[in-house]
Amino acid sequence: MVSFKRELWQNSSPAVRLAVISLVLCGLVFPLVITGIAQVFLPSQANGSLVQLHGKNVGSSLIAQNFSLPIFFHPRNDSASGVDPDITVQDAYSQITRISTATGIPMDMLQQIVDQNEEGTFWIFGTQYVNVLRLNLVLIQTNNSAYKAFQ
Amino acid sequence: MDWKEYFLAALIVNIFQMALAFVIFAFQGVLPLNPQGFPGLSWDLAFMQVISFGTNTNLQHYSGEGNCVQLPNCTALRPGVPGLSYLSQMMAVQFLQFTSAATGICVAVAMIRGFIIHSKDSGNFYVDFTRTLTRILFPLCFVASLVFVGLGVPQTLTGYQITKTVEGAAQTILVGPVASLASIMQLGTNGGGYYGANSAYPFQNPNPASDVFQIFLMLLIPTTLCFVFGQLIGKKRETRPILWGAYALFALDLLIAFTPNFPVVGPGMEVRFGGFFSVFWTVVTTAATTGSVNTSLSGLYPLVILSAFNGMLIQATPGGKGVGVMYMVMFIVLTVFIVGLMSGRTPEYLGLKITARDVKLVMIAFLVHPVIVLVPTVLAYSTGAAGAIGVGTNSIGFTKIFYEFTSAAANNGSDFLGATANTPFFNISTAIVMFLGRFAPIGLLLALGGSMINRKRLTTEAGVRTDSPLFALILVGSILVLVLLTFFPFLALGPILEFFQGRVNGF
Repeated sequence: MVSFKRELWQNSSPAVRLAVISLVLCGLVFPLVITGIAQVFLPSQANGSLVQLHGKNVGSSLIAQNFSLPIFFHPRNDSASGVDPDITVQDAYSQITRISTATGIPMDMLQQIVDQNEEGTFWIFGTQYVNVLRLNLVLIQTNNSAYKAFQ
Repeated sequence: MDWKEYFLAALIVNIFQMALAFVIFAFQGVLPLNPQGFPGLSWDLAFMQVISFGTNTNLQHYSGEGNCVQLPNCTALRPGVPGLSYLSQMMAVQFLQFTSAATGICVAVAMIRGFIIHSKDSGNFYVDFTRTLTRILFPLCFVASLVFVGLGVPQTLTGYQITKTVEGAAQTILVGPVASLASIMQLGTNGGGYYGANSAYPFQNPNPASDVFQIFLMLLIPTTLCFVFGQLIGKKRETRPILWGAYALFALDLLIAFTPNFPVVGPGMEVRFGGFFSVFWTVVTTAATTGSVNTSLSGLYPLVILSAFNGMLIQATPGGKGVGVMYMVMFIVLTVFIVGLMSGRTPEYLGLKITARDVKLVMIAFLVHPVIVLVPTVLAYSTGAAGAIGVGTNSIGFTKIFYEFTSAAANNGSDFLGATANTPFFNISTAIVMFLGRFAPIGLLLALGGSMINRKRLTTEAGVRTDSPLFALILVGSILVLVLLTFFPFLALGPILEFFQGRVNGF
């Protein structure tokens, strides 16, 4: 115990200095430098990948938002994060009939929209998926009269 | 510094750093960079969290994004859950993630120094620590952070964004300084995420590319340190048992996790990762004792959880940065001793005779782990603390409690309980387990390395060759026997029972 006390005494001054310097470097300088560079060179991603419709932010392409009208693709709500922005292609296909009935857009055109917006995971691992917000923005831009309120 | 001085310097610096972070956590309510206005953490939670981050565990009994009942349409957040200000995320969480990662690398190198021929001491902690930060962690994290931002991870200090959705409802977008945290949490095998859902939350892990990048970052430093061992002692062939042993066990973990069902996207998984990357991630995060998750653990098959237990109970497949290689050296010394007993030869490693004291040190280092896992697991049930947070006595409930303490002891940090374990019992018990699980083995293994300094080297190669595939095989076998003998009854009551119940009910 005597040697521990001596060690503590000898170490206290350099240890406090190192602790404070590392706090400033790791906790303040590093994240602030990264924030500065990110805000200058990658502002869209750094601020949450916000998506615009008619010049107004309507959410983030990475975060699911609630769609309840039958004219839109709906997100899932059982995922780990609770805000999974994607659905599987199969899930999207299963919603085509509902959207077609509600809007009058032909089913094969809806299927084409889904296929064009497909995103994949690596090689055989994982299933093809689509981003719900992106799909719905494409639907709005089809100029179908069902989306009049959003155009 | 001799090993004692080195260990005490590391311990004292770490304690000062944790004390600074404690102040930030406890007083975040009155400190700047708190646009969401989160109150300070309760003292027991703040205490538990600084131990958690300071020991490289990153068990989290809070949700970083917090409780935003007052905010409009804030989905997936439970009321009453403590949140962190931007200042806490940076100056408490990221700060300790850097320093605990650097400390891990330093103590590993200090132990290895003992095995170098003609080495004089264990090195200087202050020099090692500063160099590790400035020459390894800062440059790597700088690049990784910017890659993350490029892939879609936010990095901003403006508060949460309130937008109007397409259908016209208000929505809160939970941005913050996420990318800089995500880089060190994976590179430093820390694992404590910015959000409660960790790397399942799209802002922390936006796409398959960021997922694979994070898996790469988790394995980078622990794997590199296997090579550092051979390089430093001047015998590159001695990297083999460490690397082969680690990756043979890692392969076994994968085999268990992917048997008998190839995973498909299920409830609790994120679509962009699918079944494969959700399970693969879980194996990697426990094998490297990182503890970040990209899926809800409750949604995984029991054998995936069994595989996760394997990673955390062995802690050397390849394990956390620094400590992984230390644990593997511990297992090598144990194996050399067992082989020596069986073959009647004097046990030796790298030409160094293994003495009775060495074997005692590694045995105590090994036995610390079962004690701090099994005792609190039993206590959680006998004191009623498990029941108090609604965890049952069936195999699923038992798995959750056993996992909590296994994760704490292995300094992993993944868990089932999350913010529900924010009770004084779980905060204080896991804090003690994490502290002992971190510093007891480090101290004992530094003592092992330190006692090798100036030890006479045997010139004849009378001992067992440790750089052969045969030795790697024996090493893997003895690790499995040791770990299984110690933990099998608990594993049998948890994931193994759950697996067979699922099988039986499924028929």
